[in-house]
Amino acid sequence: MQTSNAAPIRVLTVDDSASMRALLLGALSSRGFAVEQAEDGQQALEWLAANEVDVIITDINMPRLDGFGLIEKLRTSALHADRPILVLTTESSDEKKQRARNAGATGWIVKPFDADKLTAALRRVIH
Amino acid sequence: MIEQPLPALADTAGLVRITILQGEAKASADPRVEMSTILGSCVATCLFDPVARVGGMNHFLLAEPPRHVRNQAFDSDYGLFLMELLVNEMLGLGAHKSRMRARVYGGANLNPDLSPIGTANAVFARQFLEREGIPKVFEDLEGVQARRIQFRPAGGQVRARLVPADSAPTQKPLGRPQSALGTVELF
Repeated sequence: MQTSNAAPIRVLTVDDSASMRALLLGALSSRGFAVEQAEDGQQALEWLAANEVDVIITDINMPRLDGFGLIEKLRTSALHADRPILVLTTESSDEKKQRARNAGATGWIVKPFDADKLTAALRRVIH
Repeated sequence: MIEQPLPALADTAGLVRITILQGEAKASADPRVEMSTILGSCVATCLFDPVARVGGMNHFLLAEPPRHVRNQAFDSDYGLFLMELLVNEMLGLGAHKSRMRARVYGGANLNPDLSPIGTANAVFARQFLEREGIPKVFEDLEGVQARRIQFRPAGGQVRARLVPADSAPTQKPLGRPQSALGTVELF
């Protein structure tokens, strides 16, 4: 994974909400991140088969392939076994947080997110 | 104004009445449930999936922007959160986003001397539904009067009535609740 000072950190956001994608795109792009976006877990998997990122931010509730399924599938791949994956969700239950942790998530962020806290978390997990 | 009229009052015995307060979003598939709320400048979104027969209502007022956000009059991020919360509550009961239909109410500007936050709420609700591809089948937004909304989530019926302005609770922008400050936990 290349995270030199010169190259922007590459982030893939996965969320079925167009409003949330727009919010994340604006918040992260304005803070210097290179942002790619997928609409659900399946589209993210297909994109990741041919592209690289430094960190993934995923929602939980999505059609076709949800966030849990996405994390589980990525963790079975040597390419993504250590890739930081942050869950960004409205879910607040401990049961779902534990499920994300068991699936291999790196962190858990509850919406509505604070852009500065999210940015700090991104920088922390890639170092 | 009545559309998809509710059953007569004689049929309401056994109803489970749930009041939706500002900042809340709830969903149900129980035909005995009737949700209600009173709106001034707030907006209530009633979503319904006619196949799963699941519905839900939220009641939101765009909050004050966080301290670090200086270029927004209102905290639309918080409104987005309350919309997403409603959608996710319904998904949890078996609804599909692609089948959801929306009816939106409220957004009145009760006091001409205050900023038109009712209009801001209404604009936000319309933009959210359009962006998310959720068809808006009915709206009763803006104006200068308060509204009482009753919604049967399992059947999708809504009754909206104009009520005296002093019936609506005092509604003003608040900061985000402590539970919605973007908690970060790294494993």
